[in-house]
Amino acid sequence: MTAAMEAAAAGREQIDSSASTDVMIQMNGVNKWFGEFHVLKDINLTVHAKERIVICGPSGSGKSTLIRCLNRLEEHQEGDIIIDGVTLDSNLKNIDQVRSEVGMVFQSFNLFPHLSVLQNCTLAPIWVRKMPKSEAEEVAMEYLERVRIPEQAAKFPGQLSGGQQQRVAIARALCMSPRVMLFDEPTSALDPEMISEVLDTMVELASTGMTMLCVTHEMGFAKRVADRVIFMDGGEIIEQNTPHEFFDNPQSDRTKLFLSQIIGHG
Amino acid sequence: MATMENARGKSGGLGHMLYDERVRNVLYQLITFCTVGFLAYYLFTNTAHNIEARGMSSGFGFITQTAGFDTDFKLIEYTAGQGTYGRIYIVGMLNTLFVSVLAIVFTTIIGFFFGILRLSNNWIVSKLAAGYVEVLRNTPLLMQIIYWYLGVFALLPRPKQSAELIGGSLLNNRGLYMPSPIYGDLFWLTAIAIVAAIVAVVMIRRWAHKRQDLTGQIFPVFWVGLAVLIALPGVVFLITGSPLSWEYPELKGFNYQGGVRLPPAFLAMLVALSIYHSCYIAEMVRAGIQAVHKGQTEASHSLGVRPGRTLQLVIIPQAMRAIVPPMISTWMNVVKNSSLAVAIGYPDIVSVFMQTSLNQSGYAIEIVGMTMLFYMVVSLSISACMNIYNKRVQLKER
Amino acid sequence: MSTVDTAKLGGGAPDRPPPIATVGVIGWLRTNLFGSVVDSILTIVSMVIIYYAFSALLDWAVFNAIWEAENRRECLNINKETGTSGACWAGVIIWFNAIIYGRYPYEEQWRINFAFIVLVLWLAPMWMPRVKEKLVYGLSAVVFYPFLGAALFAGGERGLFLQIMMSAAIVFFVYNCVNALVGLLSGNDLPDTLREKLGIQGKSDKAQRNILLAIAAVAFAVVFALTFTWTVPNVTWTKWGGLFLTLVISGIGITAALPGGIVLALGRRSQLPVIRVISVTFIEVFRSVPLITILFMATTMFPLFLPEGFTLNKLLQVIVAVCLFNACYMAEVVRAGLQAIPKGQYEAADAMGLGYWKMMGLVIMPQALKYMIPNIVGNFIGLLKDTTLVSIIGLFDVLNIIQSAISRDVPWRGLHKEPLFVGALIFFIICFAMSKYSQHLERKLSTDHR
Repeated sequence: MTAAMEAAAAGREQIDSSASTDVMIQMNGVNKWFGEFHVLKDINLTVHAKERIVICGPSGSGKSTLIRCLNRLEEHQEGDIIIDGVTLDSNLKNIDQVRSEVGMVFQSFNLFPHLSVLQNCTLAPIWVRKMPKSEAEEVAMEYLERVRIPEQAAKFPGQLSGGQQQRVAIARALCMSPRVMLFDEPTSALDPEMISEVLDTMVELASTGMTMLCVTHEMGFAKRVADRVIFMDGGEIIEQNTPHEFFDNPQSDRTKLFLSQIIGHG
Repeated sequence: MATMENARGKSGGLGHMLYDERVRNVLYQLITFCTVGFLAYYLFTNTAHNIEARGMSSGFGFITQTAGFDTDFKLIEYTAGQGTYGRIYIVGMLNTLFVSVLAIVFTTIIGFFFGILRLSNNWIVSKLAAGYVEVLRNTPLLMQIIYWYLGVFALLPRPKQSAELIGGSLLNNRGLYMPSPIYGDLFWLTAIAIVAAIVAVVMIRRWAHKRQDLTGQIFPVFWVGLAVLIALPGVVFLITGSPLSWEYPELKGFNYQGGVRLPPAFLAMLVALSIYHSCYIAEMVRAGIQAVHKGQTEASHSLGVRPGRTLQLVIIPQAMRAIVPPMISTWMNVVKNSSLAVAIGYPDIVSVFMQTSLNQSGYAIEIVGMTMLFYMVVSLSISACMNIYNKRVQLKER
Repeated sequence: MSTVDTAKLGGGAPDRPPPIATVGVIGWLRTNLFGSVVDSILTIVSMVIIYYAFSALLDWAVFNAIWEAENRRECLNINKETGTSGACWAGVIIWFNAIIYGRYPYEEQWRINFAFIVLVLWLAPMWMPRVKEKLVYGLSAVVFYPFLGAALFAGGERGLFLQIMMSAAIVFFVYNCVNALVGLLSGNDLPDTLREKLGIQGKSDKAQRNILLAIAAVAFAVVFALTFTWTVPNVTWTKWGGLFLTLVISGIGITAALPGGIVLALGRRSQLPVIRVISVTFIEVFRSVPLITILFMATTMFPLFLPEGFTLNKLLQVIVAVCLFNACYMAEVVRAGLQAIPKGQYEAADAMGLGYWKMMGLVIMPQALKYMIPNIVGNFIGLLKDTTLVSIIGLFDVLNIIQSAISRDVPWRGLHKEPLFVGALIFFIICFAMSKYSQHLERKLSTDHR
């Protein structure tokens, strides 16, 4: 358990974790198919502002697909997805608006290798929000400091370690001031000694009241930071609960089997 | 090579020296050098002997001899019976470069067009482009050249029944005739206007970038630049009284006189080279763009950057790194393949120097050497350009 | 994570089929052909273009084509009468034999066919799964088949050397066929089967080997004696032509280029400056000039290089030039293959004390060959197309026959399109098949290395 996580766990009661009754994300009866394969089955999910949600489950359960539907990287065939009041459909304007409010961090970082760290962070603010360059750079440096690598600003992604690259990716997403942050297995591609630096950054982000949906296997992180843990299997949401209830009192047999397999590796 | 331990043990001795790696290395090189050297010496003495025995001449003096033949197409002044072999060499070089450079321009444009079609979401369009690539790739270039020459350009109508094209150009079996420009007195002003327009566009671009840095507003550099490039010289041209007239090809007797004439062999070479190599460039474009990781597009879209901007800022810069080096190799192939002109009689350097001049003057070794030297120089220059490009765009890694 | 098999627990929502409009034929049509307005327009325009182009092509090549005629004038007259334009295949049909065999005498063409079948049978076991030691087939073909081929194609008097090599080739061929048969039937190879049948397994390894070698020697002697007096009429190289000549030149070109390319590539990677400089110079010179200049150089300068009285005929000059030229391109293919081998392999071999040549032969090259094969096939396709250049210097390959012989043959003067079409089709079929095979190999090899 990292120091930041302990601090967050200790201070969590002070953070207004369920302050908002504002609904940030609403998914109603969402179904998705890849060809013939039914990958998301009747997903119903409500996420309030400032909620921190961890989604876990065996591979192939549809967890990544679910969050990728939230910023239209994947299209759903049935059901509604409404993010901060905007319905996500094929209307390009809606898609643009949703994407500017939802930030995403990928398992393989996906930094732009031909641009410097600073340029990675300023690209979207300059070309989407039409910010002047100096302003964009100021904002970028702010977030690079938040993720604790301001000195790497002039370096290129190929020159950084995996943990550093992922932190730059987090800063890059934050530079667009999103209201929701999606994390798709952010630490799965990292060497063990670098996982904690990224998790610390995510914990610190959680403490600022950001709405977060995180697909991850890091159960320690879930226990300490999440407001809700969701278990998915075979394309449907099997169980969701507070971390305490979820880990100590799993309801479904599938959840019990899954937990028995992974606890001990966390 | 592995660094093996030096053989130690008993003192010195030739046997132990042979196991010393350094000695071995020197020995290998010595043997290779001597073998190659001996071979070269053997060939050299044979050649010298044979040249003498056959009464052939040698030496580079022939460059100043006059050549007794004429060529169908030349870019510089040359008259049979007055021009020297040296001048023929230059005529051939220029002809080669002329058709190669034009072919490179066209093939790049056509190649990019079909490469992008190949990536289309539309299944029919994508498969048509793939079919285009496969048919061209699996047929010999020489066959294509001969097809265009015998099957298309030689079948054009006779001069009296020329096909008329726009702007007073004509197409017949003697070639493509285009009006040649006659520059009036004040044309130099328009020329200056063109240069000024280019400079202006460069400066507009710089100003637009600065403005975007300062205020964040995006300026339509492309459209404005295009407008300036057309409007500025255009206005100057009109004001100075349109000082440009044309010499139109006129039918005199059986043939046309005047204007600029591009012979059918040239046209066939140009078309064949452009089309053949475009299939390779199309594949490079497709591979280069597909080589960019899908995650890059996803990351850019998830930041809210639109598809058009994503292409411009993220995809194309990365794709270019994969496209440009092999594309430059293909350009080199265009230059080398232009030598096939000898099969249809376009007077490129191989046809006019290596074949005709060699047959007429008999200076085999010198002529072969000079021709190969030309191609080697061109090849080295293009390689140097490629190395410069690679160094500049290399992705920085640890 | 994937070890958690919660599916075994059963229960959970059933899979539903996706909405009709998104899958199956309709779904495919919607995404791939009619995804947007622009897409739909493109689809319709393309289909119109395809329809017109194909119907015009079919009309010319099949429906209105003329399959029998005495000469071109007759074709043109028939076309005038019917008011259509049909391909005059008659001329091509009459010349088809020449397109394939050149001017090789008709009665002797069986030798070419026979040699081709032998080659196919020789190499076929390499594609059969149950046969062991596939490399032997390929290697023996490369080393010995050319001599058998030369004896069959050229005929005439055979020197002692050729007689020996040809006999060896026949022995190897028979051995290969029997080996493959034995392998298919029983899963063993021939030496093992022989050991069994002769009951010599009890003896020492060395004795076993000597017995098998003795059998081979006897077989060789028998073949040598039998074929010693067997001759076929001489057919000079000037009569070789058509597709036959193209395949001879490119076949020799590719087989000789591989060892040459390996030598040059190793030389280029060498740490010894003299060897490296010589290799790099050689490779770069030949790669920066067009093939036609090399061919011209061969025909004008090779006679000068050789001592008096020693001549090379034009075909041999061209073959030598093509081999030198292609060796340099092959060197680049080999270099790429060697670079694909991780440095750790070299280091492991060094650590075992293998020495340079053993390391290359036992560890590096076998692995590199796998990476190189798709590129070697690509190289062969290029070489096949490049052999058309020999038509410029007067050898009667496919293109030369098509272009000059047909259109200079008085009855068929001016017939260009139809023979060119057939020639292009022949090349297209061969090259396309090989490139598809090479792509298949590439896919197989890249998935092998997981």
